[in-house]
Amino acid sequence: MNTTTVLLIVHGLLAVALLGAITHQTVSVWAPARKPAGSFVGRFRSVAGASYANAIIVLYVLTFTLGSIIYPEYRLEARVVVEQMSLWPQIGAFELKEHFVSVGLGVLPAYWYFWRQPLAAEHARTRALLTAMLAFIVWWNFLVGHILNNIRGFGS
Amino acid sequence: MTPPRSFAVFAVVFAVVFAITYVIAVEKNYALFTYHPATNEFGGGVEQPKDGPAMYWYGWLATSAIVAFIAGALAAALPQGLARRIWSGWSWAVPVCVMVAFCYILRQYFLR
Repeated sequence: MNTTTVLLIVHGLLAVALLGAITHQTVSVWAPARKPAGSFVGRFRSVAGASYANAIIVLYVLTFTLGSIIYPEYRLEARVVVEQMSLWPQIGAFELKEHFVSVGLGVLPAYWYFWRQPLAAEHARTRALLTAMLAFIVWWNFLVGHILNNIRGFGS
Repeated sequence: MTPPRSFAVFAVVFAVVFAITYVIAVEKNYALFTYHPATNEFGGGVEQPKDGPAMYWYGWLATSAIVAFIAGALAAALPQGLARRIWSGWSWAVPVCVMVAFCYILRQYFLR
């Protein structure tokens, strides 16, 4: 197993953690539980969203950094093959992944500021929309990364 | 940790300018540097591919980060009365518009 494969696996594991954290936070901010939760879904909604913010930033930066390190390998080894297979929508989806994650990186300072404690009520809408935007980016990138990895990933 | 009040202005302006600069950098190829993965070489500015593809993405990020940082720092120095008028929602509205713009820019991949 070479270094890139190890980094790709760690990148994927970090992405799973990030996906869980941002999904928890997004649900807690858009569909908060109004009463003590008993069910699984209710407990999922009732987490304290603010406590996830710093972890999400750290996970986003770490996942981004690892992705940046293994990106040249994709460019050299995977993309050429995917182009030869004429899988243009998949390549386009990966291009969007690259740009979406960059845009997301730029909003992290604002995301951190608006999620800092104590939460400012006047920024609730901004906080919710920044979180939803980051959640969309993380989900998109996770799914597209997974698809590309299935096409031309480990062992292929 | 309590950030200064001016950090809110910095953060909002940074998000806005970063997103706008990034999409311009991609469209016009304003990369601060080029990476050649096949040879593991870096070159200043935009260089043509050599012995394999050239990667500009890192350079676009660097360009955007520098421009956004300068813009954010300048905005943070604005008088408080002026800074308070900056709507915090710009921090998500502009990046979302830029994401939509990328979907339009890359539409040919999905329409072939």
